[in-house]
Amino acid sequence: MHLREETVLSYEGVLEQSAANLRQLLKDGEEVIGYIYPHTPLELILAHGLTPSLLRALPGVPGGFEESLQTFACSYIRNLYSQRTNDQMPSLAGLIFPGNTCDSLQNLFDVWRFRFPDDTIFRLTYPVTRHEKDGSTVKYLTTELQLLSEAIEKSLDRPFVSQYFERAKSLIGQFRKDSQYLYGARLLDPSVLSYTDLCRLARAFLTTPLPVIGSEIYAITSSVKEKMKDMGFAGTVDSILRALKTRDFSNIDNFEPIIRPRIIVTGGMVEPQAIANVITGIRGITDSVLVLDLLSFGFKTAFTPPLVTKGTPFEQMAKSILSSPGEPTQEGLIHRVKYLESLFDALQIDGVMICEQSFCDPDQFEAPSIEKAASKHGIRTVRIPIDPELSDRARMEVRIQSFLESLSKS
Amino acid sequence: MGKYGIGIDIGSTTAKGVLLDNTLKIISDFIMPTGASGSRAVEKIMDEIASSSKLKLKGIPIISTGYGRTRVENAEQSVTEITCHSVGIHSLNPDIRLLIDVGGQDSKVIRIGQDGRPVDFELNDKCSAGTGRFLEVMAGVLGVSIDELGPLALKSLSPATISSTCTVFAESEVVGHIGAGKDPADIAAGVHASMAAKIASLSKRVGTVRPVCITGGVALNPAFRYYISKQLGTELWIPEKPQFTGALGAAVIAIRGLSG
Amino acid sequence: MPILTETKKEEKVYRQLESNTLLQQIMFQYMLEGHQASEEKHLAWVTSGFPVEIPVAMGVGVSYPEQYGAVVGSQKVGPELCGYAEEIGYSQELCSYARSSIGSVEKPSESPMEGLPTPQALLACNNICGTVLRWYDAVSEQTGAPVFLLDTPPIDGEQPEHHKEYVRRGIDRLVDFLGRTFNATLTEKRMREVAALSSKAIHLWTSSLAACKNTPSPLNCADRFLAMAPVVSMRGTDLIIDFYQTLLDEVESRVKNSIGAIRDEKIRLLWDNIPPWHAIFRFFNGLAKRGVVFPADTYTHAWSGAIEGDDLYESVVSIYSNVYLNKGLDAKVDKMCELIEDYNLDGFLMFSVRSCKRYSLGQLISKELVTERTGVPGVIIEGDMVDSRVFNEAQIQTRIDALLEMFI
Repeated sequence: MHLREETVLSYEGVLEQSAANLRQLLKDGEEVIGYIYPHTPLELILAHGLTPSLLRALPGVPGGFEESLQTFACSYIRNLYSQRTNDQMPSLAGLIFPGNTCDSLQNLFDVWRFRFPDDTIFRLTYPVTRHEKDGSTVKYLTTELQLLSEAIEKSLDRPFVSQYFERAKSLIGQFRKDSQYLYGARLLDPSVLSYTDLCRLARAFLTTPLPVIGSEIYAITSSVKEKMKDMGFAGTVDSILRALKTRDFSNIDNFEPIIRPRIIVTGGMVEPQAIANVITGIRGITDSVLVLDLLSFGFKTAFTPPLVTKGTPFEQMAKSILSSPGEPTQEGLIHRVKYLESLFDALQIDGVMICEQSFCDPDQFEAPSIEKAASKHGIRTVRIPIDPELSDRARMEVRIQSFLESLSKS
Repeated sequence: MGKYGIGIDIGSTTAKGVLLDNTLKIISDFIMPTGASGSRAVEKIMDEIASSSKLKLKGIPIISTGYGRTRVENAEQSVTEITCHSVGIHSLNPDIRLLIDVGGQDSKVIRIGQDGRPVDFELNDKCSAGTGRFLEVMAGVLGVSIDELGPLALKSLSPATISSTCTVFAESEVVGHIGAGKDPADIAAGVHASMAAKIASLSKRVGTVRPVCITGGVALNPAFRYYISKQLGTELWIPEKPQFTGALGAAVIAIRGLSG
Repeated sequence: MPILTETKKEEKVYRQLESNTLLQQIMFQYMLEGHQASEEKHLAWVTSGFPVEIPVAMGVGVSYPEQYGAVVGSQKVGPELCGYAEEIGYSQELCSYARSSIGSVEKPSESPMEGLPTPQALLACNNICGTVLRWYDAVSEQTGAPVFLLDTPPIDGEQPEHHKEYVRRGIDRLVDFLGRTFNATLTEKRMREVAALSSKAIHLWTSSLAACKNTPSPLNCADRFLAMAPVVSMRGTDLIIDFYQTLLDEVESRVKNSIGAIRDEKIRLLWDNIPPWHAIFRFFNGLAKRGVVFPADTYTHAWSGAIEGDDLYESVVSIYSNVYLNKGLDAKVDKMCELIEDYNLDGFLMFSVRSCKRYSLGQLISKELVTERTGVPGVIIEGDMVDSRVFNEAQIQTRIDALLEMFI
């Protein structure tokens, strides 16, 4: 299978490219709102005529957090804080923090508000409850979104425009649809598009969600669709996508794995690009071993359901956020584990790489449950302790390589 | 299956090479400090092996392992030390199911399957507690050489308590004990007990399955062997040349291949 | 002979509370009741911030894993129990209450009192931190008992209407869940009774706390940390009313006779965060020898909301959403400054608990703010509340010495 002809960018190259896009956008006079948590309502920000950009932890950030955060704060927020205090953040019109997700992020907002009083910051508080039947979580989040919208309007003098909202729905919706297809296609044939490329595209869009980038992704997706059709896989890919979205895995077409082993990588707010980079950096290994990620900035962002047409915009967004793939910051461990277990057999998975961000409560509580579930199905796992600086990279590589070696003797 | 195979293990402290024939007999082996240049170490190793075996090494497949494995230019493939140690030990003693390797900067626990390949493993985290480094630091504080530390510890009947899991904190605990006038033998014993506890918990993560083998530089330390044996409640098997098991395993793979 | 005993007693710098005996009796009875409830399949485990009055009013027995964590810590087996959790894959970086709890469920025979009695349900409220949900989910996997989460998202300032409504719906679902799980009902009458008992105990308790405004302070930190156990775990029962009345009587008697918790009170400090259970007496009594007493702390002052009024559920929603740990940094700073003023304190000691992110992160900021607003000095020391492997004595000593030197 032929990969798209193009220069393979290094990790630094990808980071630089998306940073450059953002800088250009700012130069062109666009106002950008940064956000941290993956399930942020992008449509809402766009509806206010602002551009949402995902702020990420980056490698190579010198310290600086020590003045405000202890070392047992999660490594992700320490990194974000250090970027800010070292003036390494782009000049944003505002920054959205999440509330009620984890204690590190909860404290980060308060600390930020004190240390950087001139920054325009907002907090969107999420409900943790899921699976209730009284509609109270939708109501709560709908109001929170409304309040956020009012706060943005007040602080930045930008009203909510329905026309922008409709356009945003279409732009973001298409991105998700295309990303979902690419995920589905890779589950069948991981070589049709490298995981590195998939990450690069997603990263580019989430950094600067512009129609031009959306179009590039659309074009690549169309070409992948063509290939799938040519190989006679179109129906199978569709059945896989249906299963991923409906959580019913009983109707997937049978398929013969093209490449083995087939690995899933799990984790929370871990950078997919970093994972791709570490894997491809190991001699003799390609990222075709990675058939699926279940990461917050990867799968869980892509498989956020489209906005329904009924209800106010805020209700629409609330419903979409609340039916996204579950996170360890929420209720529903049983459901998340069940979903994972269904994937194992239906998608013929050989192993799971479990990422644990340093001092990340959600990751570290979830990991043993994932291990247990995998072990029940006779599937091997490996734990990958990780931080944004990739400070223990050598050991990461050894773990991954040893893991793959232990799978390679069939 | 080829007639010979070479395994090269470039560790962070020492570099090792092993030449095997296809009956897995060791024709030649060599160990040296890695020094500043991994590639120069490889050259030296190959020279030494060539001269002691009196064989022409050209064409003999090489498998590299260890920290510097990707920088061995003539290696057919680089395989992790986890797989290599596992294969190496299995070739010496196929009954072994749990391997504990404690090196200068790294510790690992490996569950070995019936075929000699790892089925599960754990590495120490970033922290140096539970590696040879920990013992080095403590030996320094106690004013003894690393070779004297083990025998000193064995003299103790009541080890001092070192409760910190962090090398830096543990160091200040040791300083505290010295200041309180504790017997250096007891302090040394406490250091080993603490380290053994850390390794034992790593091993429990993987599942302590007997028989258990210890390799790595720290395996030569009698006090460490005593305390880890006590912690795990089991006897230990130690290969004759514990530092060579990685290179040995790599050489076995060079002859048999990885999926063989 | 008696004279010798008198002198010996005189030498002790800290005074034991008479009511301690009663306290021990109550806690013992509580433990027995927990086991009985479990045998009758009527036991729930509860987080410390949970509106416990509701399960109590529905006849459900309750046990407190966090309190068990304190027991584990004070029996100095934190490292062992945490180790059992670590063996089954839980990171050492996680909350040590959670680790020791998970560890005790994993290996009850190696745990103090053989662990807590088996629960039939796990009730968590995240008003104290987000970790509790994940902790209880883990225990649910181990025991099979279902989890109910009462979600009280953290608040900034006034509690908004939509928040009240959301939590109220949660309470409704809680009653429903308990009804189904334990075949129990909640009557208005019973709820009022339990709420009244809970309020009564809380009022008595807060009176004892307030008495520490006096000089010398009738209670020290450790006294309060022990004495708060019943009001945390047995709110809503009449068993504890007696105890808190007895305690208050003793406290008032001490105040009347100018008897302090420590013999020679020289410096009055505020304590912030959970105490180091594994060193609680050694630590506070050690400081007592230097004349340092802690008339107030942020931990025991968390239990002061009483359920009152016509709409009890509205009161429940309000009290349990507005607890100290659910209000953000500003509110924490306000509270600390208030305590320093009201209790006439000379400085403060913040314990940076490694495994408690909710309570500890932000201390680096609050330390600055508290000194700025009150003018008194403070210091941060590092350690953990249960895991004694993380407690650097030398560093702690140096910092405390430095603080105390500021008062010379």
